[in-house]
Amino acid sequence: MNYRTMIAALALGASLDAQMPKFAPPVRLEAGGKLLGAERLYPSPVYHDVNGDGLADIVVGDLRGHLTVALREAGTGIPRFAAETPLNGADQRPLDFENW
Amino acid sequence: MSPQFVDFNADGHLDIVAGIFDGSPHLSRGSAAGFRPPEQILDKDGHRIVLNQFWNFAAEQWETTTRCDLPGASGKGHLTSALAFDWEGDGDFDLLLGDHKSGRVFRRVNEGTNAKSVFSTKNEPVLADGRAIDVPGTVATLRLVDWNRDGRPDLLASSMGDAYGEQSGGGVYLFLNGGSEKTPLYAAPLTLVEASPKGQAAPTRPDSGLYADIADHDGDGDLDLLVGAYSHWSIRPPVLTSEQKQRVKEIKAEQKAIEDGFDAIFDAIGKATAGLDQKAARKKSAELRAEKVEELKALTARRHAASQKLAPFDPSPKRESFIWLYENLAASPAR
Repeated sequence: MNYRTMIAALALGASLDAQMPKFAPPVRLEAGGKLLGAERLYPSPVYHDVNGDGLADIVVGDLRGHLTVALREAGTGIPRFAAETPLNGADQRPLDFENW
Repeated sequence: MSPQFVDFNADGHLDIVAGIFDGSPHLSRGSAAGFRPPEQILDKDGHRIVLNQFWNFAAEQWETTTRCDLPGASGKGHLTSALAFDWEGDGDFDLLLGDHKSGRVFRRVNEGTNAKSVFSTKNEPVLADGRAIDVPGTVATLRLVDWNRDGRPDLLASSMGDAYGEQSGGGVYLFLNGGSEKTPLYAAPLTLVEASPKGQAAPTRPDSGLYADIADHDGDGDLDLLVGAYSHWSIRPPVLTSEQKQRVKEIKAEQKAIEDGFDAIFDAIGKATAGLDQKAARKKSAELRAEKVEELKALTARRHAASQKLAPFDPSPKRESFIWLYENLAASPAR
C-alpha cells in the first residue's frame, strides 16, 4: 500500500467512525405501567404522531397483523406513554391486517 | 408485519403499507374517516407481489412460485417486510421487499404514478457495495432514514437471527446512500447493533426477531433506535436439597405423562390425515381436534401447572417480547 492509498484508507475509516453512534445500553419501554410489546408475537414498533399533537407516538404491529397505539403523554423530561389501545379503522373497529 | 405510515396514493391522507407473513405487501388506505380495510398491493398484471412462498387464502395452504424471479434467485424467498420508497426520485413510490428467509432485499419499480401505481413483475435485487444486499441474520424489517443528513435516504435493516436455537440472534444495520437522488448507491453496512450472542442470565437486550425504527425519541437532536424483539435468557438453577431433587423428579415424570398424552392425540390425527391433500388434511385435522378439545384443554392446564411447580427448582429458558430503546449518546451527524 503506497502512502496515498494509506491516507485515503485512514480518511475513509475516520469518516465511518464519525458516523457511528454511541448508544446507551438498551432499556425496555413501558406504556401505561406495562412493558411495551410484552406478550406480542414479533412486535414491530414504528414512530408516528397518531393524534396530531406534534409528539411521536409508538404504533406496534405484530405477526398476527394487529396494531396498537401507545400515545406519548405531554410534558418534558423522559418521554412517557399511555397504555396501548388498538388502532381502529374507519369502521371504529380494530384495524386488522388479515394474516395467514 | 412492519407498518409504515406514508401517503402511498397521494390523496392527502396517510396510508399504512405493510409486508405481512402471508408473503405480500398490503395497503390500508387512509381517508377522512380513518383507515380502510387492508388490501393486497398488486403488480401491473393484477398478480400478488411475492418473492416465492406465500399463503394462498383461497386454497388455504402455503404455496411457492418462481414467476417473479430473475435468473440467480434462490427460489426460497418469503417476503414479510415492505417499504414504500421513491427509488428513482421520479415522484412515485416504488417498493422495497425484505426476505425473511435470507438477507436479500428486492425492488419493484412503480411504472405509473402514486394515484395509479403500476408495479413491475420481477424482483430486482438491491445492491450494496456492488453486491446483492445480504443482511446478517435475514431481514426482519426495513426503514428509511437520512442518517448523515446529506439529503439522501439511507437504509436501515434489522434482522431475525436464530429465533429459537442457540445460534446468533439479530442485529441492526445501516446502509449509507452515496448515490444521487435518481440513483441510490448503498455502501457496505455499518453495524448499529451487533448480532446478539444470546446466553444472558436476564433480559438485557433484544436478541431475536429485531424490528427497528429510528427517530429522535427524547428530543435531544440525535437519532435513537427503537427495537421490538424477543429476549432470550436463562436463569441459573439453584442448588437443590435431596428432597427438592426428588420433587423435581416427580414433576418431570408428570410432565412426561402429559406430553405422552399430547403425542397420543396428535399421532392419531397424523395417521388419520396421512395421504390427504393439504386442504382435506386441515379440515380433517380440525374436526379431530374439535372432538378432543376438552382433553386438549385439560392437558394444557396440567402442562401449565406442572411448569409452574417446576419453575422454582429448574428455571426453563425464557423467551419474551419487549420493545427496547437505544438512546443515542453521541453527537451523531443528525444533531
